[in-house]
Amino acid sequence: MRAVAGIAVAVVASLFLLFILGPVAGLVAAGGADGVRSLASDTELRSSLWLTALTATIATLLGVIGGTPIAYLLARRSFRGRALLAALMDLPLVIPHPVAGIALLLVLGRASAVGSVFYELGLRVVGSPAGIVCAMLFVSAPLYVSAAHEAFARVDARYESVARSLGDDAWRAFRRVTLPLAGRGLTAAALVMWARAVSEFGAIVILTYNSKVASVLSYDRFTSFGLHETLPVAAALVLLALIPLAAIRALRRADPLSR
Amino acid sequence: MIALERVRARAGGFELHDITFAVPSGGWGVVIGPAGSGKTTLLETIAGLLPATAGRVIIHGEDHTRTPPEHRGLGIVYQHGYLFPHLSVRENIAYGAVDRATADDLASRFGVAALSDRSVASLSGGERQLVAAARALARRPKVLLLDEPFSALDPRSRIAARRALRALHAHRAFTVLQVTHDFSEAGSLGDLAMVLDGGRLVQQGPPEDVFRKPATPFIADFLGAENVFAGTVSDASTDDETAAVEFTTGALTFYAVGVQAGSTTHAVLRAEEVVLSTGMPATSMRNHFGGRIADIVFDGALAHVTVDVRGTPIVAAITARSARELALAEGHEVVVSFKATALHLC
Repeated sequence: MRAVAGIAVAVVASLFLLFILGPVAGLVAAGGADGVRSLASDTELRSSLWLTALTATIATLLGVIGGTPIAYLLARRSFRGRALLAALMDLPLVIPHPVAGIALLLVLGRASAVGSVFYELGLRVVGSPAGIVCAMLFVSAPLYVSAAHEAFARVDARYESVARSLGDDAWRAFRRVTLPLAGRGLTAAALVMWARAVSEFGAIVILTYNSKVASVLSYDRFTSFGLHETLPVAAALVLLALIPLAAIRALRRADPLSR
Repeated sequence: MIALERVRARAGGFELHDITFAVPSGGWGVVIGPAGSGKTTLLETIAGLLPATAGRVIIHGEDHTRTPPEHRGLGIVYQHGYLFPHLSVRENIAYGAVDRATADDLASRFGVAALSDRSVASLSGGERQLVAAARALARRPKVLLLDEPFSALDPRSRIAARRALRALHAHRAFTVLQVTHDFSEAGSLGDLAMVLDGGRLVQQGPPEDVFRKPATPFIADFLGAENVFAGTVSDASTDDETAAVEFTTGALTFYAVGVQAGSTTHAVLRAEEVVLSTGMPATSMRNHFGGRIADIVFDGALAHVTVDVRGTPIVAAITARSARELALAEGHEVVVSFKATALHLC
């Protein structure tokens, strides 16, 4: 009976794995070679991938700058409203992304108070790469905060206590002890955020259809030219996503806290 | 000097209540108490790692209640060491050291100089504790807070580590507050022993007094007093504060000297105060009871002999050699004797 149950679990797990990997592998098989070739010949694809990587990197840097203190606060301090803050940080994860784009449009559009101030300052958010960064930041920063929170929580607060007793002030203890110990976790969190930012579509398409990031370009080519023309773009996006995945795996192996 | 004046602190749902004590400058205070009694919380409050919600923390005459930890001039050694895993042993010891020579000297004194280039992950629990002690002392703290610092060492290494620490203490005269579960260590090291329970300081005083005269049956039991009797006091003189009394427990009546504490109380008798003989001895001791040996447990050089005296077990701690010379065995009849002053009423 136990053997039958074991076989059933293995079959279900295998089917699930196939469901996840099958479409991705099929996509890379169908368009991977063309995707790599297109990088040399397709200037629109190349500039789209460059724009995607650049905006995702800027969004990630902003996420790291803004999200790290919040993640540390959630991991280290207990205060009134802590649970509420954690829930609010997760909010963008559960909102449909086009809705997130609409929400951002309301706040950053030219008709809004904030958007009009930006406009007066000569900063156009909607319809520009800044809009792409905002959309990416909004939808992917919660992933960074959540993973960074975990990374800080894994570092026992008593390491900081010892560093303080050895003469470090709070910032120095953070820099000399907490940051190196949480560093790999924070880097992995940033990579997860970057990967999520790269794959964002729903919020970006509302805020900035042009210039086209890779996800918008693949959608655009699919609706304009059909599946065949889309395959190289889609495959290139998948290959781009593999880079942070591989980096995250390597970081986990080298974590000093796991020794 | 470490002095706490009605200090309160909170750690999660746990609270320290009105802690007041003073360890003199260059002295050695020992904190004992059951798990979860607040010993580590107490050390962290003194270190400034947890804020005191009330009261004052005085270190060497200055009020440091609001001083950040790095400016209190103290070191803390946790039971688990908390060595920084991203640094080597040498880098750990040098982390807060006043200079390189001091760090190297401490590494030598604690016998970890040969481990200097090793990664922390490769150390045993005992080695980690030694490195943690060297690291804290390399900063030359005026106050050293120790939380079971050598508990993971084997007995021989523990003795060597204690010897190194005592030599440094004698040389540098820093003040120590140590949490320990080792009662023999508490008795031999401390100028002041404190018993914590449930976040409250339930007794403090010279270690000898705390161990011989526990304030409550709980403390007596916690400190390993083998004989704790519930009973009643009678014939108490009201003329003096301290009076000769009779203490009745079960079918036995002991002679004791104690403060009148009402009709119901407890009496504590340490097993080392109990004398066994095979016949009625002619001594000045006031308490003699015939009984039958119920059990003998040999523990190294000591033998713990439980004698059933009319239904009341009385434990005597004698040397194993005495037990052999008296040919003691289960079922033998012996006489249990102890002085009236050996019985502590609480």
